[in-house]
Amino acid sequence: MAETARPIVIRVNGTDRSLGVERSRSLLSVLRTELGLTGTKYGCGSGECGACTVLLDGQPVRACTTPVSHADRRAVTTIEGLAAKDGSLHPIQQAFLDVQAFQCGYCTPGMIMEAVALLRKNPNPTALAIREGMAGHLCRCGTYSRVVRAIQAAAAKMRK
Amino acid sequence: MNPRGADDSANAGSGASGLTRREFLRAAGGIVVLFSIGRSLEAAGSAPASTAADVDAWLRIGEDGRITVFAPTPEVGQNLRTELAQLAAEELSTPLSSVGVVLGDTDSVPADPGVCASSAISTIGVTVRQAAAEAREILAAMAAERWGVPRSQVVLKEGRVVLASDPDTAIGLGELARGQRLVRRLKQPAPLKPRAEYALVGKSAPAIDGPAYVRGKAGFAADLRLPKLAYGKVLMPPCLGAKLVRVETASAATQPGVIAVVEEDDFVGLVALRPDLAERALRSIQATWEEGAHTSMAALYEGLRATARLEERVGVRGDVEASLASARHGYSASYRTPFAAHAPIEPHAAAASPQGDRIVVYASTQRPFDHRKAVAEALGMSTEKVRVIVPAVGGAFGGKDAPDISVQAARLARVVGRPVLLSQSREEEMSWNSFRPAALIDVRCGVTEKGEIAAWDADVFNCGSRGAEPPYTFANQRARVYECDSPLPQGHWRGIGGSANAFAREVHLDYVASELGEDPVAMRLRHLGSNARMERVVRAAAERYGWEDRRPPTGLGAGFACAADAGSCAALVADVEVERTSGQVRVRRVLVVQESGLVVNPDNLRNQIEGGVVMGLGLALREAVRYEQGRILSRSFTSYPIPTFREAPAVEIVVLPAPDSPPQGGATAALCAVAPAVANAVFDAVGRRLRELPLAPVRVRAGG
Repeated sequence: MAETARPIVIRVNGTDRSLGVERSRSLLSVLRTELGLTGTKYGCGSGECGACTVLLDGQPVRACTTPVSHADRRAVTTIEGLAAKDGSLHPIQQAFLDVQAFQCGYCTPGMIMEAVALLRKNPNPTALAIREGMAGHLCRCGTYSRVVRAIQAAAAKMRK
Repeated sequence: MNPRGADDSANAGSGASGLTRREFLRAAGGIVVLFSIGRSLEAAGSAPASTAADVDAWLRIGEDGRITVFAPTPEVGQNLRTELAQLAAEELSTPLSSVGVVLGDTDSVPADPGVCASSAISTIGVTVRQAAAEAREILAAMAAERWGVPRSQVVLKEGRVVLASDPDTAIGLGELARGQRLVRRLKQPAPLKPRAEYALVGKSAPAIDGPAYVRGKAGFAADLRLPKLAYGKVLMPPCLGAKLVRVETASAATQPGVIAVVEEDDFVGLVALRPDLAERALRSIQATWEEGAHTSMAALYEGLRATARLEERVGVRGDVEASLASARHGYSASYRTPFAAHAPIEPHAAAASPQGDRIVVYASTQRPFDHRKAVAEALGMSTEKVRVIVPAVGGAFGGKDAPDISVQAARLARVVGRPVLLSQSREEEMSWNSFRPAALIDVRCGVTEKGEIAAWDADVFNCGSRGAEPPYTFANQRARVYECDSPLPQGHWRGIGGSANAFAREVHLDYVASELGEDPVAMRLRHLGSNARMERVVRAAAERYGWEDRRPPTGLGAGFACAADAGSCAALVADVEVERTSGQVRVRRVLVVQESGLVVNPDNLRNQIEGGVVMGLGLALREAVRYEQGRILSRSFTSYPIPTFREAPAVEIVVLPAPDSPPQGGATAALCAVAPAVANAVFDAVGRRLRELPLAPVRVRAGG
């Protein structure tokens, strides 16, 4: 296996991880296979569905089309790193629960990560802005309206 | 004391052959209640040494007081787990948090009676409710015996049995179960709790396992990280029906990370240390295929007609031919709906783990018992040696039935003797699974001088009989359902033929109404006859919408449709905006009025209806599986676009109460009504009658 001479170092959910992996591997594959962080999902492998969304230095990226080398010496946040240290849910996670903004729940982690970034940029988005901001995420169960409501509810709580 | 004829001769391990296999009955203490539905309980009681085969659900009261419900149908996002917990907790008057639900584990749940997910609540739900009622009676009887009082003097309250005359005398359910190893089965059904006393059923409750989902810890099949897990990949043919002629795998075997290459007859797969290495190695396999007869989309509908074989007649009344011949007006038309993909965001996945002489398969499926049988047959094992466990499932919609992926994973795992995960790529998911059947439906209809539809004749090709019998009463009617040679593999799909049959029927009815110059809702109501449930939703929808007074401006239209599926009735009004020049249709608002019997969890029912409407919009506007030369061309979300955030319309939902009727599946009736309502709305907006789905701009522009 042709592996890199220098390991790739990624700060994953606050902890530095040194990884001897091929630089061209997808961030998604490394998160799931090497680090066991399986909350980030594979849906399409080509950035069409958003299920693999994580934050790279706070910006949402599609982990399935991001080479792991892009994350070298940067910070990655996955769904597993979102709750507080004491385990209490992030307001967006809580809002998804309160609104029941999911059915099968497979697209949910990617949606939540995108919503975190969206609300950082725009703490008080309109429903239309949320639909536009979330447009790259697919939910086959069709819970879109609920996701919009959940993000609005979380935004209201986070502004307080 | 045995007030309800409880039969405790069937103690665990005492010869109930089907049950003794089930480890949990032996291992765990407590009280187990078996329940079967659709069979005479007295008959069951007369054969105490019953087998698991005639049991549809069971329920255990553990020594810790926890209630565990075991039921066959897996959770696939319909929130069945929460609704079953609500039903059980209600009958036992115990907090919802004390109930757990085990679904889709072939070692511990009753065999799947072949229930489809969309009607699970009306079958499994009712069974679980009855089982919980039985459990309540057993517990009450045990406490009454302990206290030496009649059964009538004890009640269940907040997870305890309480003496009615002295509330301080109480005993926890766990304490009653302690030291017990009972398997009980009742001879006659226990009475259900009166609805007036309901505290949990009929109230919205969040998903009992919801927190795991928002934390990313729900555990889908591809998420399992078993010790020594390896990753599989299977060689797929270049097109449908291709036969493997020759294969060269030697170079794959020497690729980095490859553990084994497996060739068994036509099955070629490999196992590697990592998924990316498995994919890379697969690409180095050289295979020669014989492609056979090709099939292309252009020949779809004529092909269905050419291969049709009459399968059954449904909803036959009167003499259709004579009535058509004597009708004053005749209206005939053909309707077409293409193949649709399930396109769950989670592709098919299965992880197989050999464990001694057994194999455990974690599969993303709706049919664990089918998978168990198929794996056992493929591996030459007895079914007892195969355990299929369904973890969280990332959407199924009827598409995760076929056992292929479990069989493939099991074959690979057996060869390498360690756990193997097989998960499909998006392209594989879209190419190698089943589709919603395409349909061709010819409708002929005869109208009398008075404007009454006297004859209704539907020839339904390829999509089956579900929804083929109209909800209306026509004096002479018939649906002939034809089986056809399908060019693509097909299977269930939320309502299966229900959506195609509703499309043909509801658009045709609208057509006849417009030809006769009659209001389409009035036309429906005149023909709903004795169908009081459907009449009620149709009236309510028309009233809520303000149908009679509507005045849509140019370019906007409103369309009406109704459908029944999985025991629910729905009427739906769609408001659309049509851009005449581009043919672009935008659905702005949807009103759904639905009746689903007793509503267990109102918010969840609304969630399911909303989702069904969104999926129905995909069918209405965009979704069609394209294929050429035996190759599926719709292999991604770009080539097979499903509805997005941008298209999801405002959905208003009104659920009509019918609490005295049993709960019904609520996720498909409205879905079936979406496409016809949108097509009728397009006609209302621009006067173009569309009879083929999807209502793509090119068809809207052309008007046909």
